[in-house]
Amino acid sequence: MFCAQCGANNADTAIVCMQCGRNLQAAPPGLAAPGVPLPVTGVVLPPAPGVGVQNYLVFAILATVFCCLPAGIPAIVYAAQVNGKLQVGDVAGAQAASNNAKMWCFISLGLGLGVIVLYMILIMVGVLSGIHGN
Amino acid sequence: MGISMRSMVMLNFQVNVRSGLRRHRLLAAMLAAFLGLVLLEIFDPATSGIFPPCPVHYLTGWYCPGCGSLRAIHQLLHGNLRAAWAMNPLTVVLLPFLSYGLVSSALLELRGRGLPQPFSRAAWIRALGAVIVLFGIARNLPLHPFDWLVPGALLHL
Repeated sequence: MFCAQCGANNADTAIVCMQCGRNLQAAPPGLAAPGVPLPVTGVVLPPAPGVGVQNYLVFAILATVFCCLPAGIPAIVYAAQVNGKLQVGDVAGAQAASNNAKMWCFISLGLGLGVIVLYMILIMVGVLSGIHGN
Repeated sequence: MGISMRSMVMLNFQVNVRSGLRRHRLLAAMLAAFLGLVLLEIFDPATSGIFPPCPVHYLTGWYCPGCGSLRAIHQLLHGNLRAAWAMNPLTVVLLPFLSYGLVSSALLELRGRGLPQPFSRAAWIRALGAVIVLFGIARNLPLHPFDWLVPGALLHL
């Protein structure tokens, strides 16, 4: 099933779009022709269930590859869980997995930055002791 | 009536402040990414010491799946696909997808709607995680075809 709002390919059983969170089950007829984006207005509409549930996959991969591998892997696993749970319509479970994915991204970022700071301190100490030795 | 008008104004104000904050955060992230790319274009991480080392490699001596990524991006910015591939083939393969994902995330922040995600099934994400882990294991194996995955090894054939 393709989402009428963003065009993402969802499982036929999906209740909300895993990309944009649009409600796929109760699409109002006529309003949601495929490929026609909804008009953007200044009105704050009540969010459909699943809106804003991000999987943070891009950041999980960036964290794994650039920051800290061991903490990035759980972030990827939780990112997969977010989409798996959205596929079966478990919005609450997806939100919980999303929070975990975000948390592990930050843990990975923190550990990576920690090692970098440690490295810089070691270099400074090395430079200072070098100056002192001379 | 007065109360509802006031709460609407408050709500509108909160929404505006929130979207303004998001926009600023996004701008800051884009600026940081651009500065990072400029630094990567000018300085080669293979020879310059201004880039921090990979924490995993620094602490354990093992190559992580991302080791060589900065050197690979530096080579890509200079148009050397072959050298980039030798540094980290996984990064070269993943970069287009990561760029697409980053653009999609930025659009999601700006207009509440990202780009289509054809590989968003949970099975695809798990497979990607497995590929990353297996690549990390493979490049540490001291066996012949696998040692080609060590950053830069293909340049010294």
